[in-house]
Amino acid sequence: MSRRTVLQIVAYGIVCLAILLVPTFYDDAFVLNKYSRYLVLGILAIALSLSWGYTGILNLGQATSFGLGSYCMAMGLKLRTVPVHTGSSGLPDFMVWNNVATLPWFWEPFHSMSFAIFAGIAVPVIFAILLGWFIFGGRVTGVYVAIITLAVLVVVNLLIIDQQRFTGGFNGITDLAQLEIFGLQFDAYGSSSYYLIAVSLTFSLFFALAITKSKTGLILQAIRDQENRVRYFGYDVANFKIFSFAVSAGIAGLAGMLYTIVMEFASPTFLGVPLSLSIVIWCAVGGRQSLLGAMLGAIVVTGMQGALSESEIFLDTWTLIMGFLFVVVVLFLPKGIAGAAELLFERIRPGTGTGSARTEPSPSHNAIRRETGPAE
Amino acid sequence: MDIVTAQIVTGLSIASILLLVALGLAIIYGTTGVINMAHGEFVMLGAYSAWFLQTYVGIGLIESLVVIFAMVAALGWVAERIVIRHLYRRPLDTILATWGIGIMAQQAIRLSVGGELRYVEMPPVMGGSIILLGIEMSAFRLFILVLAIALFAFTWYLMYRTTIGMKLRAITQNREIASCFGINSGRIYSLTFAYGAGLAGLAGALVSPLKSVSPEMGTTYVVDAFMIVVLGGVESLIGTMASSAILGQLYGFLAFYSNDTIAKALVLMAIVVVIRYRPQGLFAAKVRV
Repeated sequence: MSRRTVLQIVAYGIVCLAILLVPTFYDDAFVLNKYSRYLVLGILAIALSLSWGYTGILNLGQATSFGLGSYCMAMGLKLRTVPVHTGSSGLPDFMVWNNVATLPWFWEPFHSMSFAIFAGIAVPVIFAILLGWFIFGGRVTGVYVAIITLAVLVVVNLLIIDQQRFTGGFNGITDLAQLEIFGLQFDAYGSSSYYLIAVSLTFSLFFALAITKSKTGLILQAIRDQENRVRYFGYDVANFKIFSFAVSAGIAGLAGMLYTIVMEFASPTFLGVPLSLSIVIWCAVGGRQSLLGAMLGAIVVTGMQGALSESEIFLDTWTLIMGFLFVVVVLFLPKGIAGAAELLFERIRPGTGTGSARTEPSPSHNAIRRETGPAE
Repeated sequence: MDIVTAQIVTGLSIASILLLVALGLAIIYGTTGVINMAHGEFVMLGAYSAWFLQTYVGIGLIESLVVIFAMVAALGWVAERIVIRHLYRRPLDTILATWGIGIMAQQAIRLSVGGELRYVEMPPVMGGSIILLGIEMSAFRLFILVLAIALFAFTWYLMYRTTIGMKLRAITQNREIASCFGINSGRIYSLTFAYGAGLAGLAGALVSPLKSVSPEMGTTYVVDAFMIVVLGGVESLIGTMASSAILGQLYGFLAFYSNDTIAKALVLMAIVVVIRYRPQGLFAAKVRV
């Protein structure tokens, strides 16, 4: 292991430890719930950083995986609620309102909680593999990937809203039971949920870090920088991209499930275009080419958003500030705050890094000229 | 028979609005390669300008069109000068930066005018309807259709029959070499951006009497407009027109048979498939590498 890797692991470990220690200082249920929400979005940013920052796939539809995961969890929890408005066979309330007589077949397996948890990751991953195969198999690159993923997000969102009888439509799936695993109750406002999320975050962060440090991770980064050159070496670029796309979808699915636990509902806004583009913002602000940076970017930006929108003066101006901040970051800090920090760190202590940060290709080298896909 | 014609007329009406929005985007994207996510916000600003001029200054919609074009074009010019010109070498980052500009524009409107829905009155002359080919059609929608085609023709003329257009096409083909021949590419880019933004403003002003005006109204247009530009082929104006027509008819047709949501989903899926197999667009004459 290079010295740089060791430093990185130490830094990541310290941050995760700090996050795990938070409940010992704040024992307020409301605050913990708020923090867990930010952490979940941090996991989501890790997912995008893996596909965008490390593989160069600008996925504007990251919220698709997030939403699918969240709906899987919500379906599982919904079937465990004490029926209040339900019919004879324990149908979810919104189905009764929509005159659905029997539970649809795809809801059946969600009676098992372990299936629901499995599906929360498997469904986004399978969806991503199919979509990735469709996109990357045809060597579609750059801007077109962004547009396709965005369009797919909108389609899934529209379908969920339209199929109100099975998905709850605009209202989403509300009034959920609490998750219970091995006799442990995960209350949205308790420290147990916070720990669950903090552990998941630590796991996702180190899992993603392990991937980027592996040989596969190196090839992914090479694909990001010079896709054709990697192809000439004989690697199957499409398969590597699908892999990164699918892993990122799995992590986002996990985040979606956790989000349902914290928010106590699932809604079509979880698959909304605004959320999906916000993920991109967090990564860009924090530094897309650093997993930790992207994660902290999400936590800091959403945290600031939460704090500022609570005070009267900033309630309305917050969005304006965020837009401005975002433009400034894109203009002056293309690698985000993490990139700036790394540059600063190397200037203070020359020779600590392996120099990899300095030999990266210049932006113009990296720029995607309007590529035309198969015709290249 | 009547139903078919009525369906086609509805489709044309949708298509003309789509064309107005997409035309500006097509020029900006085709020339500069900038993915302008703020385009929808320029549409929104146009609609608000129309509302403002009508409510506070008392100018009718038709008379204010020129002013609105100038106002929104000026805003587009400012955005290009301050932010976008630094990003021509990083096309993917333009998505992010222009989205940031879009958020700021939305919020600025919300802060200054308020988030509630606003309504713009239709020009009284065009309140009625006209019988055309045995079909009753709203005079205002017909006006939009005619104006959309006229603007398209004007843009085509500008691109292919004027010196500015020639310079613009030269830059599109190769910016460095065009600059070597003494073309001030920076200036042409800002003019293009301003013109595209102005067109978006006009589109916003024209749809304002048909739909309610709100700070979020732009986002619905920008996705559609993008799909049209990509579907039509990046550097093909004719393609933009043709794909607006196709999309307009498809929306009208599918919405007639199922519901609006499913129509939208189906059209988007069709576009995804097209992009996958023909990223250069349906109507691209030749591909520049």
